[in-house]
Amino acid sequence: MIPLEYYVALSALLFVIGGVGFLVRRNALVALMSIEVMLNAANLALVAFNRWRFEHVDARAYAGQDHTGQVFAFFVIAAEAAEVAVGLAIVLSLYRLRRTVRTDEADLLKN
Amino acid sequence: MSIALALSPLLAVGLGALLLMLVEAIGTKAGPVPGTFRDVRGLAVGAASTLFAGGAFAGCVWMYGVERIPGAASLAPWLILDPFTLFFDVLLCLGGAIAALLAGGYMPEHGLERGEFYALILFTTFGAMVLAAAGDALTLFLGLETMSIGAYAMTAFRRASARSAEGALKYFLLGSFAAAILLYGFALLYGATGHTDLAGIGSAARQAAGRSPLFILGAAFVLVGIVFKVSAVPFHAWTPDAYEGAPTPATAYMAVAVKAGAFAMLLRVLTLSLGSPAWTSWASGWPPVMATLALLTMTYANLVAGRQESVKRMLAYSSIAHAGYVLVGVTAMMRDPKQAVAGVLYYLVAYGVSTGGAFGALILCGSRGREAVSYEDIAGLGKRNPAVALAFSLFLVSLAGIPPMAGFFGKWLVFRAAIDAGLYKLTALAFLNSVVGAYYYLRVLVYMYMREPAAGAVTAAPMRSGFVVTALVVSAVLVLALGLTPTSYIDAAMSAAGVGASG
Repeated sequence: MIPLEYYVALSALLFVIGGVGFLVRRNALVALMSIEVMLNAANLALVAFNRWRFEHVDARAYAGQDHTGQVFAFFVIAAEAAEVAVGLAIVLSLYRLRRTVRTDEADLLKN
Repeated sequence: MSIALALSPLLAVGLGALLLMLVEAIGTKAGPVPGTFRDVRGLAVGAASTLFAGGAFAGCVWMYGVERIPGAASLAPWLILDPFTLFFDVLLCLGGAIAALLAGGYMPEHGLERGEFYALILFTTFGAMVLAAAGDALTLFLGLETMSIGAYAMTAFRRASARSAEGALKYFLLGSFAAAILLYGFALLYGATGHTDLAGIGSAARQAAGRSPLFILGAAFVLVGIVFKVSAVPFHAWTPDAYEGAPTPATAYMAVAVKAGAFAMLLRVLTLSLGSPAWTSWASGWPPVMATLALLTMTYANLVAGRQESVKRMLAYSSIAHAGYVLVGVTAMMRDPKQAVAGVLYYLVAYGVSTGGAFGALILCGSRGREAVSYEDIAGLGKRNPAVALAFSLFLVSLAGIPPMAGFFGKWLVFRAAIDAGLYKLTALAFLNSVVGAYYYLRVLVYMYMREPAAGAVTAAPMRSGFVVTALVVSAVLVLALGLTPTSYIDAAMSAAGVGASG
């Protein structure tokens, strides 16, 4: 079995990649994708922790009935989809008006 | 059945939203311009009355006593139905109703007659109510997303305006970024404690798990995510842009209800999950962080607000500054949570009705094709339209915290809680800040009563709308009532705070 640390390390790596991508890139679509990567990092962590507790901590207490982390991940996926739908609509409406999806060219509002 | 009674505020708003969406899809006729409708004023009435009904249900459950309803506790920890939740239900419904009424006047005036705005207000309010009731990371996240997604869409509502799209894009990107950080924080807390319910995380925090690096990192991420949502400096960058770009009723809604929902989340997390002695101590917990954020938020927002050329943007910075004052009250939770939470609750109501009214008055100052945004637009308004100017002054005086308005007692309660918690320096700085803050509110008054518009300049002509006037009357009555007879409202805030603190 793959140890928990591997999953946590991968999830942390994904989270950092997403975070850095969001902060560095100026393309709204890339920023959107970076946020998705961050959310999926959280999903991976939730599922991995759940599985690990299932094996090591709560096995006797919950008799293997505790699926909180995995269920949580499903809800996150659903919420994420709704968020992307609205996000893409906003990017699209900006593109229609300004012919750009770059966040540094969206500069009408200042101070 | 009794659960339905306890949930009636949520059910009223949720079912009302679905119904309104149906009515909007079937019942409204297409207008002359594609994509518009002839008349969506009925939807504004529907949305406002649904929200008033939701608030009334919450009030009735409050009067009856939610702890007497059997089964109300069976939804915990998913939804905690206690006076704290009901208090926020009333506040959120009120904010939503004011925004719906403002939209009923603003939208037709500015050619934005599309009915989905009202459904969005209702769904967003529903999300905020779930957020205020959430006792588990899962419901908290879902409530937060429901609220935020609706708010993004409302910000982008002026489809022909590049400013609206830009404000919405910034709001959306930073808001989702914050939500992702918050979610990762909860995932780490789950790993550290094995709990997703806030109270379970809190009880684990009292044991050794509460000081593990995983827990500390998780708590930090959660707090960063939340202070993004309450728009504390340095996480405020989206606020002025989103507030300026959004149609003004949406701005009013965000300043009142979305902010209140975010603070409900902050209070819940701090009391339930991070309420252990170690986490509430100055040496090893969140109080110094909150104090620093409060100080930065107040000072920065007050300094920048005075330099704004647009009244709407000034009000946006003012809402950031007020988040700073509320954070002073949040810091005071380290010593006596009940008193501090009561102060924060009262402050949120007082600030909510004042700022909702101020945005409403700003709407009333402008008309089709010429929205009132700059100081020039409102110059000489005291002579041109004394009633609007008087209403605007009332709300600004309340925001400035001058007695006997609502805002004064809000500040007084929050500052008193901070003094009782021993935060003398922070209170003194907050007081200084509120004196500085009075400057930019009074500047509006100076323009309205002592300046004349430049000769030949095009100034905004005040509009006429029964909807906006109704919203202003409701807010003005509350501003005066909260200011002149604060006792009963303070008592209500105290009884809501007691349960919120103990869980």
